[in-house]
This record gives sequence, structure tokens and C-alpha cells, in this order.
Amino acid sequence: MVHEIPIGLLYSTTGTYQSMGSEALDGALLGLDEINNDPVIPVSFVPTIENPGAVIENYRRMSEKMLRQHNCKHVIGTITSISRKEVIPIIEKHDALLWYCCPYEGFECCENVIYLGASPNQQIIPLFQYLIPRYGRRGYFLGSNYIWGWEQNRIGRELLHACGGETLGEKYLAFDDVDVEHLIAEISEKRPDFIFNNLVGTSSYAFYQAYARAGEADSFFTPKNCPIVSCNLIESELPMLGASAGIGHISTASYFDTLTTASSIEFKKKVAAKYGTRRHVSSDMVTGYSSIKILAAAIVESGSADVEQVKQVLFDRSFDSPLGSLQFDAHTNHANLHPIIAEVTEQQNFRILSFSPDQISADPYLVEFDPVKFADNVNQPPRAPSLLKVVE
Amino acid sequence: MNTIRIPNFRGWRILILHQMDDNINRLSRQLERLGIEVIVNWPVLESPVADAQMIIFDGDKTYDGIFPWPAGEPPLPLVALMSSEAPGRLEWVLQQGISAHLLKPIQSSGIFSTLFLAQSNFDLRKQMQQSIDSLSDRITKRPFVLRATLELMKRCKLEEEAAFSILRSAAMNRQQTIEDFCACLDDGAVARLVCAFEKQRNTRAG
Repeated sequence: MVHEIPIGLLYSTTGTYQSMGSEALDGALLGLDEINNDPVIPVSFVPTIENPGAVIENYRRMSEKMLRQHNCKHVIGTITSISRKEVIPIIEKHDALLWYCCPYEGFECCENVIYLGASPNQQIIPLFQYLIPRYGRRGYFLGSNYIWGWEQNRIGRELLHACGGETLGEKYLAFDDVDVEHLIAEISEKRPDFIFNNLVGTSSYAFYQAYARAGEADSFFTPKNCPIVSCNLIESELPMLGASAGIGHISTASYFDTLTTASSIEFKKKVAAKYGTRRHVSSDMVTGYSSIKILAAAIVESGSADVEQVKQVLFDRSFDSPLGSLQFDAHTNHANLHPIIAEVTEQQNFRILSFSPDQISADPYLVEFDPVKFADNVNQPPRAPSLLKVVE
Repeated sequence: MNTIRIPNFRGWRILILHQMDDNINRLSRQLERLGIEVIVNWPVLESPVADAQMIIFDGDKTYDGIFPWPAGEPPLPLVALMSSEAPGRLEWVLQQGISAHLLKPIQSSGIFSTLFLAQSNFDLRKQMQQSIDSLSDRITKRPFVLRATLELMKRCKLEEEAAFSILRSAAMNRQQTIEDFCACLDDGAVARLVCAFEKQRNTRAG
């Protein structure tokens, strides 16, 4: 008998970060189709899909509705940290489980959340370890005016401080603010070694475009000289940057479309079959897909959608996913991930620059971070970082 | 741009003075995630406090005399675990000199920030207390400064400012506060100061 399980899918597919929300939702829906159409799997998901439209007030109401009216015990959703923090109290009140799929700024470890996105030690630290030996230690920091930007930049400041570097400027824009010319003017004056970009959505796209325009008049503004680096620029956003504004700039993620592992190639075939061959796959899509597939596997194995029983299975074994074999750390509720560094190509995709051969377990509170070791690491010549191996 | 170091509790030891229950299980798990060793004592604080960095105690059930130090003078930060908000309990935990509190039931969120605030508040309070003690001490000794200044004004026929300046540089040379220096001045020491001043004045005049 097929077990019908209600689940909530809570992603903003309109609004300033709609690109990421749509990716994660499409990934989850692809997984949902596979599960519901597979006669062998004794589980069928009944989804409640809500679109908060990037309006923060909607998250609480919509998640409450999923849990109270539709009896969902599992919600896959939220992109930004403010929306996640809005939903967590509701999830805790109903003792449900939130499956969170995006990179975030850490300093959280909720018993009722499973984290598939990267913590700072899986994104910003590997990124800076790659960056500093190659480009220098004078950064100019940008962010959208909320917790992601603030905390990413604070950690970034600390990393630069640890190795004797400096932050030449730090500026924040409101969501949807696309007035970026003053940032270009300040960068032109300060001449940093790199730009650490934690703007999200439309503000970020406007900045890449303005940077490329500035590069037409001043060769300082080129990725070879001063790259824009990001911890959340994904494939689906590249068309929003225009034809060439992104080329050569750098991002980090646990998955990129050009990853040539067998599990990635297999997943891309599935995406092509459902969404067409022109669609590039992003880490958000992969984690959205993986979360629903892993949830189904855990429910099948435990015989129940009960949160504690699902968690028990989750921490007991590993799961096949487009990211490779995926394991969760019972100590933190976070996935172990391979950080990857990549640059934007002319084909509006990413070329992988470096891939961590080992999975790194999340350290959301940076308990294991040692500034002295970090400084030693980045002061090595660029070809010998301990965490990352350059792909030849 | 100021950078606060990432607060890191790795290697810390926290004593929990509370009956073992679900709340304490959740709290311990979260503390262990932060790299902290947890020791639970109840109903008596048995473990050595000197080895710990913080005490988290049951604000609902603890009572006078449970801590081995005078009320309000803890040698390490105290955090009260509260479910009761009765004014009598709030008054009692406040008298213990708590640096922060946590509400029961314990949730995953709020623990990291509570530890961070408790430590910062404790350090700040200690610094302020040291600063108040030092200022009180100086105020108590202020009459010695006045007396010494008047003495020098009289003996050397100086204005107040010049006499004070002699005392201040003499105190600085001995790396003392002017108050401590003046408190120890006896007749002989004043005479030596006068003598040194006269000599300098004659040299300059000559």
C-alpha cells in the first residue's frame, strides 16, 4: 500500500531572489515526480506549494498553514536566513522538520532543521583560502542589508585580519536597490585586490553589470585584476548578469553544472528530460532535489514520517545524490560537503577551478577555526593549499 | 572597521547546577556542539569551580548558601535557567550577580548568544568594579595630595599649579598614582622635594 505523506514546499518564486527559489523548487518537484511515479517506492508525497513572494510576513502564515491545516511534518524551503528564522519557531512548535537547502552564514544548529546548504567553513573559508594567495588580502566587501551580508562580511573581515590583510570598504544595499554607481566610484578610488560580494538578487546583478561597464574605461575593473567573488552566485542567475558581465568572476558552491562526476551526469540527464537541455543545473536545484529524495528514502526505511525516526535513519547511513554519496552529521544536523570554487565562462556557466577531494563536515559555530592555521595556510604558495586541490 | 573575534568556546568547561532532565539534555547537547565540556551537579555544587569557565544554574530551585562565595560576588559568570518569572525568584537570581539568563524550556536557539553575552557582561562588570575600586581609593587619598601641595606652596613660595606639577612628576618617576605618592610623604620626603626644587631653581638662575 502506498503511504501518502503531506509535505510543504515553501519557496519564493517571485520577488528579488526568485531565481534561487525557482531552482530549489524545480529540484524538489523533479524529485517529487520521481518518487510519486515510481511504483516500487511505497511512499507518495502530497505537496502543499506556497510562494511567499520574498515578502517576509508571508513565511510565518504559510508555514503555519502547512503544518496546521495540511498536517505536514516536513517542509522543504526558505532561501534567506531571515525567512528561515521566521519559520523555525513554527516548525519547533509543531515538532516538524525544515529541510534547508542554501548556503548560509552559520551560527545556528536547530534540532528541527536539516541543513543541506554550506556553513561558513564549507564556503567562505575555502573561498578565501583559494583567493588570498592568488589575488591578495585587501578586500572590498558588499552585502544586502541583512544577516547574510552582515555576518558573511564579518567572518570575511576576521579571515583577512587573521592573515594581516585589510577591508578597504564595506557597503550595504537594501533589497532591490540597484543604485550601485557610488560603489564603483569608491572601488575605483580604493583599488582593492578583490570584491567580496554578498549582495543578493537584483542588487547583485546590477553591480556585476556596472562593474563590467567600468571595465570598458578602466582595466582595473577586470576579473583577472580584481575579481568579484561570491558564495551564492548560481547558474540560473548568470543570464540576469547579461551576456558578458559575469565572465571570469568567481563563486563557490557544493555543486556546479560542469561537475563531471557520474552522479552529476546522471542527474543532468533527468533535468534535461524534464526541463530541457538548455537548462544549467545549480547547487540550489541539486539540494532541493536531494532533500526530497533523501526524505523519501528515510521514510521508507523507518516506515514512518515521524521526525525523530526520520532523523535516526538520516544519521545512520549515507545517501546517493547528485553531490555524490551524502552523509549528515548527527552532531550538527548538517550535510558533509565538497566545497568547489569556479569561475563564470562565456557560455554562461561555471568552469571549476578547484574541488575539495574530501568531504568537509559543517562547523556552523566555527568551533574548529584556528586563525593561526588559516594564516599559515594562505601564506603558503598558491599551489599547496591543504583543503583544496587545484584541478589540472 | 572593527572586528570582534569569533567567540570560541572550544575547550571550555561549564558546570550545570540543575536536576538532570530533558531540558538539561538539550542544553548539554547544544553546549557540546560548541566544543564545551559539560558537568552536571545537583543538588550540591560538588565539582571544582576553579576548573570551570561558567556556571549555569536552576533559577527556580536554588537557594541561599548554595554557592561557596558571598552572594553577588561570583568568581565566574553565572547564568540562571528560569521558568518562573515570579518577582521573588528574579530578585534572588539578581542578588547572585547573574550575567545572563536562559528561559526554560531550552531551545536550540539562544544558547550561543547567552554564553557570549554572559561572558561579555561578566568581563565588563569586573572591569568596571576594578575601575570603581581604584577611583574610590584615589578619592580617599585625595586629602594627602592637597596637604602636600599646600606644603610645597608654602615652603617653595609657589603657585598651586607649579607645586602640583612637582608632585605629579615625582609620582610619575616612581610609577605611582599621585595619591599613593602623597599618602606616603613624610617630613623628610617633603624636605628632599623642596631641596631638589631649590637646587634646580638655582641652577636655572645661575
